[in-house]
Amino acid sequence: MVAAPGAKAPRAGARDAGCIAMTVEPPLPHPDLLAAIPRLRRYARVLTGDAARADDLVQETLARGWEKRRLWAAGTDLRAWLFTIMHNVFVNQRAMSMREAQNVSLDAEGESGAAWQLPVRAPQQAHVELIEVLRELGRLPPEQREVLVLAAIEEMRYEEIATVLSIPVGTVMSRLSRAREKLRRVVNDAPGDALAPLKIVR
Amino acid sequence: MSAQTNIDEELQAYADGQLSPERRQAFEQVLARDPALAARAAEIQRQTSWLRAGLDAVMHEPLPQRLIDAARPTATRPRVPRWLLSTAASAAMLAVGLAGGWLARDAVLTREGTPTTFARQAALTHALYAADVNRPVEVWAPEEKRLVAWLTKRLGFAVRAPDLNSVGYALVGGRLVAGNEQPTALFMYENDAKQRLTLQARKQPAGASEAAFHYAIEDGVGVYYWIDDQCGYALSGSLDRAQLLTIGHLVYSQLAAAEPRK
Repeated sequence: MVAAPGAKAPRAGARDAGCIAMTVEPPLPHPDLLAAIPRLRRYARVLTGDAARADDLVQETLARGWEKRRLWAAGTDLRAWLFTIMHNVFVNQRAMSMREAQNVSLDAEGESGAAWQLPVRAPQQAHVELIEVLRELGRLPPEQREVLVLAAIEEMRYEEIATVLSIPVGTVMSRLSRAREKLRRVVNDAPGDALAPLKIVR
Repeated sequence: MSAQTNIDEELQAYADGQLSPERRQAFEQVLARDPALAARAAEIQRQTSWLRAGLDAVMHEPLPQRLIDAARPTATRPRVPRWLLSTAASAAMLAVGLAGGWLARDAVLTREGTPTTFARQAALTHALYAADVNRPVEVWAPEEKRLVAWLTKRLGFAVRAPDLNSVGYALVGGRLVAGNEQPTALFMYENDAKQRLTLQARKQPAGASEAAFHYAIEDGVGVYYWIDDQCGYALSGSLDRAQLLTIGHLVYSQLAAAEPRK
């Protein structure tokens, strides 16, 4: 055991002077904005299926959030507000890249799988169901993925999800139901306990 | 709208915990009569826990500097905030383990993916989990024994959750968090006013052995941190400095009174 910290305590008073100077500006980054980043990253990772593109999306979301910070009604849920921004950025980016590609695959289900990877490296001994569920998550159309993650992982109220995604609550419900139905088929089809080797998703 | 749709919507809302108590009760009676539906409900819960297990890891990844910067646009501010500069002038708050002081610290922080200081990491981790109403911890206080055994195993030294009831803070629970250099144990406490404190502990990287208490304000969170016998501790909370120091000393004395490690 080293000397008790009390021995150095008198110096603590002297240090106060150094800390008081932080009154001029509020400490930035905004702690709430900062605290929201891990959730935004998780959501973005699910949307894009790619770590680098996900962080691009988070960065763009934070930048816009900062630009529009005066539009955020203080006291309301900052997380929901940021997710709304992220959703809009994501939808715009997707529309743009689809236009650029001249690839008129409006069938979202067909278009989403190619670039989507497991959002996280599955642990070595990960249960086969875990891997299957994540893989199937990537095969869902982004619209269903969004709803599923906001409801199941972020535990948002359906009304709140409807606001974030600008869709009716009924649409939230039907997307959620379809997403879960698809994952269900996978889980039920998954082979017993054997660890299936990871196949490349299309 | 068919009856089938209604049942399905009710099932989703049930699985997501969004039914009112009355509707929940009514739906549980439906489930009791319909084993297939009950199996479906259990299955959705399984799916959800797999999804969580797979996706939660993203939350623990260290933040890239560019994202921290994006939450702190630089246009209107000097690269090193004024308060940090004045702090550096006092030369009293050198980061533990980083002999270079604040400017060296800043240089370290600007490189993406490199370690940030213990105090800063503690503050960020505190901000992340203390704000989480539903899942602030992974193992809750009633399972303290299991929690402590688990963290002790993962950290490679005997950790304990100090008893802070005498200052009005009860243990909420704890979790393992990813530090930049070392896995870190987190214990969370809460008082009657729902204010939260976290105590984080990790094995200290070699080369730092100072026992003094250090204080830092990181992003609005106060952090007291110290190193004791190759272990680093950080107590974080949005308390005023004197309160935090009092509790810090209490934690220190309890840990010091414990059986010597090794």
